[in-house]
This record gives sequence, structure tokens and C-alpha cells, in this order.
Amino acid sequence: MAERGGERGGERGGFGRGFGRGGRGDRGGRRGGRRGPRQEEEKWVPVTKLGRLVKEGRINKIEEIYLHSLPVKEHQIVETIVPGLKDEVMKITPVQKQTRAGQRTRFKAFVVVGDGDGHVGLGVKCAKEVATAIRGAIILAKLSVVPVRRGYWGNKIGPPHTVPCKVTGKCGSVTVRMVPAPRGSGIVAARVPKKVLQFAGIEDVFTSSRGSTKTLGNFVKATFDCLMKTYGFLTPEFWTQTNFSMTPFQQFTDLLGKPTKGLVLEAPTETVEA
Amino acid sequence: MESSAKKLSSLRITSLDDDDDETEVPHQPPPAGPSAAAADYEDADDEDEEVEVTLGVLSKPKHPGLLLRHLFPSKAGGIPAWLDPVNLPSGKSSFCGFCGEPLQFVLQIYAPDEDNVAAFHRTLFVFMCPSMACLLRDQHEQWKHKHGNPCRSVKVFRCQLPRTNAFYSPQPLKHDGSDKPLCPGAPVCHWCGTWKGDKICSSCKKARYCSEKHQALHWRTGHKNDCLQIISSSAASNSVLPAVGKVPASTSWPEFEIEIDYEGTFDSDSDDENNSKSLVMQRHGKPDAMMQSWMDQFEADADNKCWASFQERISRAPHQVLRYCREPNAKPLWALSSGCPSNADIPSCSYCRGPLCYEFQVMPQLLYFFGVRNQPDSLDWATIAVYTCQGSCDQSVSYKEEFAWVQLYPITTTRQ
Repeated sequence: MAERGGERGGERGGFGRGFGRGGRGDRGGRRGGRRGPRQEEEKWVPVTKLGRLVKEGRINKIEEIYLHSLPVKEHQIVETIVPGLKDEVMKITPVQKQTRAGQRTRFKAFVVVGDGDGHVGLGVKCAKEVATAIRGAIILAKLSVVPVRRGYWGNKIGPPHTVPCKVTGKCGSVTVRMVPAPRGSGIVAARVPKKVLQFAGIEDVFTSSRGSTKTLGNFVKATFDCLMKTYGFLTPEFWTQTNFSMTPFQQFTDLLGKPTKGLVLEAPTETVEA
Repeated sequence: MESSAKKLSSLRITSLDDDDDETEVPHQPPPAGPSAAAADYEDADDEDEEVEVTLGVLSKPKHPGLLLRHLFPSKAGGIPAWLDPVNLPSGKSSFCGFCGEPLQFVLQIYAPDEDNVAAFHRTLFVFMCPSMACLLRDQHEQWKHKHGNPCRSVKVFRCQLPRTNAFYSPQPLKHDGSDKPLCPGAPVCHWCGTWKGDKICSSCKKARYCSEKHQALHWRTGHKNDCLQIISSSAASNSVLPAVGKVPASTSWPEFEIEIDYEGTFDSDSDDENNSKSLVMQRHGKPDAMMQSWMDQFEADADNKCWASFQERISRAPHQVLRYCREPNAKPLWALSSGCPSNADIPSCSYCRGPLCYEFQVMPQLLYFFGVRNQPDSLDWATIAVYTCQGSCDQSVSYKEEFAWVQLYPITTTRQ
């Protein structure tokens, strides 16, 4: 096979084979001399429009993406904008499928990522090898990062430290209820949601759960659901009229000379109001 | 035990492929082979492993003279190095079907067919209208291709020559700077450098254009001043004509050479296999239907799964801009599951009525390398798959149109 490829190459001489069908001759040699993937990982080439904007540096905070509900398709976007993300594997379970030749085992990995300052994500991935499952779950977790709103229990002194109000989340039969706590209480919760809340950056909270919390999947999702609801709750700070701003796609056009009527250009801020 | 398992199996509404079968129910007969895991993309992945995909990566040429047509280059951006320099595509084929602007050159690849004597030299050229509005309208056209000649904004041309031809020497190239084409090519438009320049400036009779639009643009940006000078100094005709390979007004995308690369395998960490057993908890419980529904929400719908496998595949070589595979069972790597053509959507060759087969696809990384600015009308696609005549037919015109399928990202609705 290799000889035939070489012979053909010889016939063409300096013409080169271009993108031909007969790529087999070189394949063996190339595989050996392939650069390791480590080098390539540093250089991310964006594939989506949002990715290109982030790579250019036009978008600095992930809140700008949240404000316009833009779908994030590349995990490198989140990695670039939210630098302090840490991840932790919550659980790895084997799941099996019955085949004629025995059982085929795959591994399911649950990963939580968070920066400890208002952003958490949760990812699940099943793969034949543990490392692949973990890697995939980390990527999925980064894609699902959501903002968490924090508030005060009483005096508005210092940074926000607890949930802004009583919120509850439900998944399956498990309901998790979070109640604001005074500073210094710490996270009063079971081992599993405590981990998620630590990643979210909540310092003090009282929790109460109900249902079959033994099912780790539902328990974690219920806390996650609860955290997502913190920004859905209407409090008096949001009573003022919203000034809509342009999406990043419209904002960064090169022909932005004249302001359009009815649209106010404002740097969107999603920081928690005191 | 068994009845509860049956109840749980009836609870499952969404079909999450192999997860449905991942149970510990020993009494049921094992599912009949791969048919149960029909959409199990891991098996499909193994299938894809058998076909060797050649990748194209961009690189800056060492000097621009390397990308001239007699060296049979594969390149992206800049101006095309026409294979057949005389019988260039003419008429309506060089214009966008919607806005009427001449199309802009995207890339060309030199892909000879070794089994076909008439296609000893074979190059494929991709052209596109740089307007996103035209691309959106083009989507409708590509879905209803059956009706005669559709007007498209993305066009692919194929040109092939036998070894002995009127334009290039049959001897192999020497690559030492002494190679030359046998005869000069037809004059091209002075503005874009791409299309045939058969319209001449009526005053100086020297500047050539492919269309009125380009003539107007060139007039406004400098030819108005130069025109009179050219008439007066009629002997100095060389100063007007652009040097070979250069264009006076560059609205074209930056020029690169496309180098061939091979897709290596992702080195899976096989040494972790031993550790995995120790990490695993021995839990062979009954299937957790509630965990199942939770998985559904978090893991995937068909679109996300497709996107995930797309990302995984391109992560082996993040800089790729082109994927080439002309095997009979090759399939393009789609980014989304929506917007894929079925076999019925692919037309037959408009020249020989033979079937078309997938040859290569252009990847969105190209937009990043081209530096496409973020205008409201700027291009953005997920992938462009090109289908060419399987037999590489050789009749009628020199540049034959092939079929291109554009897959776009779904438009995000912005609430204002």
C-alpha cells in the first residue's frame, strides 16, 4: 500500500498529490510524528460568533452574556471570561448494559464547577473510561454556569453573604429550601448541597430538605434549581424601569456612529444590589 | 422486582438511546445487537474511525510567488489561482443570485483524481457572497434545489485538465523558481482580480472590469485620477496592470496557503483503566428512573449531542479549516442535527446526471482566521459541505458548478 502510494507520487513527481484519495502512504509516518494535543489546547480557535467576540476581548464579564440570554456553545468562552473556576467530582457511578458477550460497563461522572463568587455549574457525562467521563463532565459543567444572587440577612454592612430571600427548589421528590442566615452561621446543610453552595459563594444559609434525598442526582439538582431561582425573585430593587441595551452582536459593530432612537447604550451590570 | 422494572421502563418518555438499556435486568433477553442502540453515537464514532480524513490548516506562504497557478496551490483568501486561465466562469455564475454582486473568493483546493486520466489536474474553487442576508436567503434555495438552476450565494466550481494540456507543461514541477505556465491567462478585473475582465473602461481602454459595480468602485477610489494619465502616456501600459497575483483594491480576505494535515487519534489515557476499578463503588442497584429524567435534562437533546461530538472531533486539531474525505462511505461532520440534508436533498450532477458524493467541508474556524468583523451583516456559518460529481465528468464548460450545502447556527432570538 505504501509502495503504491509512493509509486504514484513518483509518477506525479513535483506535481504533488494535493488532497487526493491516496493518503494512506503517509498515514503511518504521520501518526507517529503527531504533535501532542497539549500544545493545541492552549490555542483555542473559536467556532461561533460569540466565541470570536470573546476571543477578541470585547466581552469582559459573563453577565453580559446572561443579560441577553445568549446560548454558550463553547466551554472555552466560560473559561476565558470566568477565570477562577474550580471543579470537583461529586460522584462516579458505573452503569452497565447487557450484551450478548457479557456486560458493557460505562462510568457516569458528576462534576460541579464554581468560582466561589456567584457562579456555579453542574455537569454529567457517561463514557467508557473514567478520565473521559470526568473531562466531558467538566466541559458540560462549564457550559451550564449560572449566576447566583446573594443578599443580606439584616444589616447591609459588608459584602452580601447569604441568599436574598427564602427560596425553594424541587426535583423529583426532593425539595430543598434555603433560608437567609446571619453572618457567621456557616452553611447549615447536608454534605452534598453544602459542596454546591460553597462553590456558589454563599457563606451563610439555613437549609431544609424533604423527600428522598438519598438520590444524589435529584438532591443536587434541587439545590441547583434553588440557586437558579435567586435571580428570578422580584424584589423592590427591580421595580424601576429597565433600560434595554444592545446585544453584543449589535453593540460591537464597526459602524456604530449614530445612536439609534429608543435604545440606550448602557454597560449592563448584574452586580447584587445592597 | 421485575414488575417494578417494567413500570419504570414505561415511565421513560424520552428515548435517551443507550441509557435506556443500561439496566441490570437479567431476565430480559439482550437487545438484538446494534439496532437497539441505533443512535448511539459512540458506535457511529467507531465507524468514522475507519475512513481517513485529511485536514486543511492555514499557514502564511513563505512568499506570495508560491501561490501562483502553475504551482497548483491550495489556498484560501486573496484571489483565485485559476487552473484553466482562459475559459473562466462567465455570465450569471459569477454573481450572487440575490444581490447581484460578484462573488468573493473563499478557498480553492487542488484535489486530483488519480483514477481519472482526464482529471490529472483537478481543482475545486469555493466562492461566497460576503453578505449574511444573502446567505439566509440561500438557505431556502438549497432546500428546494430540484427546480432547475437555483440561484445561490455560495458556489463551488470544479475544473480539471489532463496531463498534457495547453496551459501547463507535462513535466513535473521543479520547485526552484523556474517553473512557468505555458501561456498567459485571460485578463481579470482590476478591482477584484477574481473574475474575467471583459468590460473595458471606455476612456482609457486599458482598465478591465468584470461588472459595472466594480468599475464604479474603482473609478471612485483612484481610477478617476489615473485614467487621464493613462491616456496621455499610452506607452506605459504596465504601470496600470496589476502585477501577477496582486490586486490594487483588497476587499478580499487575507491570503493563506492551505497545508495538508492528518487527523491524529486522541491519545486516550489508557493507564487510567486500572485506577477506575478502585474509584468505582460497587453499586448494582435497579435502574433509577428519576436519575434518568434528571440525566435527560442535563445531558442532551439531539442537537446538543451532535454539537458535543462535533466539538470532540475538532478538538483533535483545533486549527483545521477544511475536512477532506472522498471515500464512498464518508459522511460530513455536522455541527447540529437540524439542517442536515437527507439523501433526497442532494441533487444529481447537472452536467452528466450522475450522482453527487460528499468530498469536503469548510469549517467555521476559517471565519476567525479571515478576521471577519462583527458587523450585523457579517458571515457566520456552522459548516459548508461540498458534494461533487462522483465520476468527475468532463463535458461542456471548463468550470462546472457543484453543490454546496450550508449549515447555519440557529438564529438566537434576542428579547429587546
